[in-house]
Amino acid sequence: MKKYINKLALSICLLGFITPAFAQSADEIFRAVGSPHNPKVQISFNRYYTAEGHAALTKKIADAHPNLVKRVSIGKSYEGRDMWMLQITNFEKGEADRKPGFYIDGNIHSNEIQGAEISIYTAWYLTENYGDVDYITKMLDDRIFYIIPTINPDARNDYMKQPNTGSSPRSGMIPLDDDRDGLFDEDAPDDLDGNGSITQMRRKSSTGNFILDPKDPRKMIVVGVDDNVPANVQRYEMLGQEGIDNDGDGLVNEDRVGYYDPNRDWAWKWQPDYIQRGAYKYPFSVPENRNVADFVLAHPNIAGGQSYHNSGGMILRGPGAQEDLSTYNRADIRIYDAIGRKGEKIMPGYNYLVVYKDLYSVFGGELDWMYGSRGIYTFSNEIFTRFAYYKNNEGGQNLNYDIDTELLMGDAFEPWKPYNHPTYGEIEIGGFKKNFGRATPGFMLEEELHRNMAFTLYHAYHMPNLSIPEVKEKDLGGGLREITAYIQNDRLMPTHASQDLKYKIERPDFISISGVDVQAGMVVDNEDRDFTREQKTEPQKLRIDNIPGNSIVKVRWIVSGRGKYTITVDSAKGGIVSR
Amino acid sequence: MRINRNKFGLVAALLFLTQIIWAQDYNNASQLVQRLRGLASSSNAATLKSITKTLGGKDVWMLTLGTGDMENKPAMAVVGGVEGQHLLGVEMAVRFAEDIVNNNMSALDNTTYYVFPNMSPDATEQYFASLKYGRSANAKDTDDDRDGRMNEDPFEDLNGDGMITMMRVEDATGDWITHPADDRVMIKANKSKGEKGMYHVFTEGADNDKDGAFNEDGEGGIYFNKSMTFAFDYFTPGSGEHPVSELENRALLDILYTKWNIYAIMTFGPGNNLSSAWRYNRGGATKRVVTSVLKDDETLNKLISGKYNKTVGTKDAPPSVEPGGSFNQWAYFHFGRISLSTPGWWAPMVKGDSTMKKNSDKNREVNYLRWAEQEGLSNYFADWTEMDHPDFPGMKVEVGGIAPFNMLNPPISMIDDLASKHNEFIMEVAKMQASVELINLRAESVGKGMTRVTVDLYNGGTLPTHSQMGSRSRWLRRLKVELKLGNGQEIVSGRKITLIPSIDGDAARSMTWLIKGKGSVTIEAGAPHIGFTSTNVNLK
Repeated sequence: MKKYINKLALSICLLGFITPAFAQSADEIFRAVGSPHNPKVQISFNRYYTAEGHAALTKKIADAHPNLVKRVSIGKSYEGRDMWMLQITNFEKGEADRKPGFYIDGNIHSNEIQGAEISIYTAWYLTENYGDVDYITKMLDDRIFYIIPTINPDARNDYMKQPNTGSSPRSGMIPLDDDRDGLFDEDAPDDLDGNGSITQMRRKSSTGNFILDPKDPRKMIVVGVDDNVPANVQRYEMLGQEGIDNDGDGLVNEDRVGYYDPNRDWAWKWQPDYIQRGAYKYPFSVPENRNVADFVLAHPNIAGGQSYHNSGGMILRGPGAQEDLSTYNRADIRIYDAIGRKGEKIMPGYNYLVVYKDLYSVFGGELDWMYGSRGIYTFSNEIFTRFAYYKNNEGGQNLNYDIDTELLMGDAFEPWKPYNHPTYGEIEIGGFKKNFGRATPGFMLEEELHRNMAFTLYHAYHMPNLSIPEVKEKDLGGGLREITAYIQNDRLMPTHASQDLKYKIERPDFISISGVDVQAGMVVDNEDRDFTREQKTEPQKLRIDNIPGNSIVKVRWIVSGRGKYTITVDSAKGGIVSR
Repeated sequence: MRINRNKFGLVAALLFLTQIIWAQDYNNASQLVQRLRGLASSSNAATLKSITKTLGGKDVWMLTLGTGDMENKPAMAVVGGVEGQHLLGVEMAVRFAEDIVNNNMSALDNTTYYVFPNMSPDATEQYFASLKYGRSANAKDTDDDRDGRMNEDPFEDLNGDGMITMMRVEDATGDWITHPADDRVMIKANKSKGEKGMYHVFTEGADNDKDGAFNEDGEGGIYFNKSMTFAFDYFTPGSGEHPVSELENRALLDILYTKWNIYAIMTFGPGNNLSSAWRYNRGGATKRVVTSVLKDDETLNKLISGKYNKTVGTKDAPPSVEPGGSFNQWAYFHFGRISLSTPGWWAPMVKGDSTMKKNSDKNREVNYLRWAEQEGLSNYFADWTEMDHPDFPGMKVEVGGIAPFNMLNPPISMIDDLASKHNEFIMEVAKMQASVELINLRAESVGKGMTRVTVDLYNGGTLPTHSQMGSRSRWLRRLKVELKLGNGQEIVSGRKITLIPSIDGDAARSMTWLIKGKGSVTIEAGAPHIGFTSTNVNLK
């Protein structure tokens, strides 16, 4: 593993200093449809990058596209790394932070690494295609993206640089006393064979309940209670993850890095650790999350969100906890359903699921806070599924071994090797390495990134899109005019999710008229039958609870004076439009 | 020498003077800090520290009272001012600290105290402001009615008496009537008994934004006692956008989570589980999200409550006030500590005589007015006074009511006895705290250089080492027993380190080891919130 890390470091250096060497002249290139063919920033999307790798990539993208990208640090991680965010929009059109905003992050669980690469791919794709692809150009003219590739940069590096399994550390790096003995992180797994991964320990044992597969010595087969194993067949017992009893308390690997779960730290219906394992002290006591929360709280224009995890091929929506079922009502579920089902089509092998019933019932997740507390339609994609290997869902005991042999040329498995263990004596260590299983293999990575981005762009497309398509005037005599304006939202999402409406999370939308004297103002509930509701105070600035998706809201003013007027719609999540 | 003596005299005179000032009324922020500084400088056992500054620019103080290895002694946190209208809570916390430092230093031999006298310093300052109103909120800007307009409908002092009371408007569409025993007190008409409402009742002010609601979006802010994580009341005025959003809440929690020695938290606030204990509810205790005190902890709470009533002797407590996000509930349900809370004072029930109308529903306001009259207090009620109100043209509008703060805070001259009884109660709790000893130590030779060591780990306290809730919390350490071996010694049987979830009061756990080798072995046992003990044993 060390070898790879060195290679990776070298690649990053190369990327930093001699990028021009990679650039090719337009003459040598033919555009593959759907991809930037001669981008200003060259990035290899068949490998992963450390926190520093991503910091460097965000800088390159920002430097190459100054009118489209602002790179800001939203704060520091626990270990003091900057948390880099790319803000991507056409900064020359409109007020950036007043456009409907879409929030993207990755890697909250430190071993779930693809989200950072999807984030970078998205930033790269948006910026390199701006001006070439109309869909993207319009997207950046009208919307803003807030993208943080990794919101757990410290532990991302720990996953990559320190010995881990494919599922560790998951936590962030704040030390915690897991076994409540007064010591912090004193007994983590140990990389006994020095390959950079925590694999498995096994020991020959006459009473063990595993034997070797005679057709594949990498594989262990469980012996059933009534299996008749010949006496001369060697049995093994499994001893768990690689490690020793570092603190001499008789237990192995019982107090590792962390452990808390950064995705149990969010403030919607938060519960403490004894109820919700993984919670830290109080909501946003994990500093990385606090930085995100403070940013989101300060940006009420954010209407959609995505937090990338791995793995399993899932498009997840809330509620996270069964107890929170009532938070999600019919009207909003229809919108989630429409987008989620589109995701199943865009990402073959992925399923649109609900956290509490299809995964597990948990409190304190990020997507629940985004929706429950801020009214932001949010998904979490669990990136990568075994479907991807052979484009089918056939599993079987041999699957991982076949993949290792047939597709990865044996790079995924560490062959069993003998080791003399201080507690267990002569044992063997081996198994699948940490970069196999959850992280998409390099040869499929770019496709994975693209499909996830395509889904998220579809999600972003359906943030509210407001316009004033029609204004009618009628002379009422006596110097009075009746002005009726149509306010249209031609996308799926309303300006206020139903959760938002229920608790007035965001202020109402303001529809105002200026340039004339307003005598009265009202909402028109039914234009044909003249059903209206008058707003008695401040009639020039009508306060509308919501502009629903795919609908038109009609408002009316009775005005005096002949002057020209301007109608302005000012919505926190829908942006500002005037006519 | 003469000069010095004069100086001394001057300082003494000043001290005397400030004491008199303190003695007359509750402390404002600057009086409080003088008093705390004075206390901290008078003793090596007291340390004063500001844990944060609020948005209103007020320090939040922490007074540590302790001697020796104070972080490894069991500790109690004593917290006041969790409710900004409750100045008594601040005073009680300070008096507790003063009593320890001035009269009771030996209390620190076995226990450390962390005193946080005022968690709502922005709010308590309203008591001293030119316009008095009952304030619970800090200085955060909040849009209380969430309509996109900030502070557009505050209170107004319509009758110019320097305080915000109530308004009543005679109107057949109203839901309120006067109390049969005292027509100064307004109550809701009981329509099921055929009563008909005759008044609207509002807080004193105008409907500035003409939205039909009175004073619904004034200066606002976040209430300390609504901002914690247990049963947080989302999207309501005073709770904030999420739990623990405020500097003072965070600062306190960040400290408490590093004080592993805290076993109990004593809160002077509106919550009350001391006059009567929290009630166990099976449904609430067995659901994943626990909302009831656990069974064993109910028993514990009853025991302590009994001590409280016996020591303090107050009766007829009003119902406990524990809003969603309250501090004292957090301390138990989410922090896993023994949580004790009392307002400290309420107007005692006045026994009516034949000349009085019967206060048959024991209305607290009626009772307060009777008590205040009996005690000869002044300025406790603003008499209902008719006035013209622009929002109610042609209608009878009166402004009046019980003065803010009064029902929670007695005149300070009345609290000496109360404060010392509460201090005594805290000492009673400390006497009950868990305390482990290693007793009945035996070493017996079993031959071939092996010794069997047995010992009883005994909790000589009345309280368990871990309450039922405490044993669930990762934020309370387990009772750790460690055998410290010397050269050439080896454990043949038994664990080098044993972590014990809990030992009840007056209960023991027997431990045994088989050890090979010679010389002496040390056994150490404890946890920061219980204290530590150790013993040596010679191998046979």
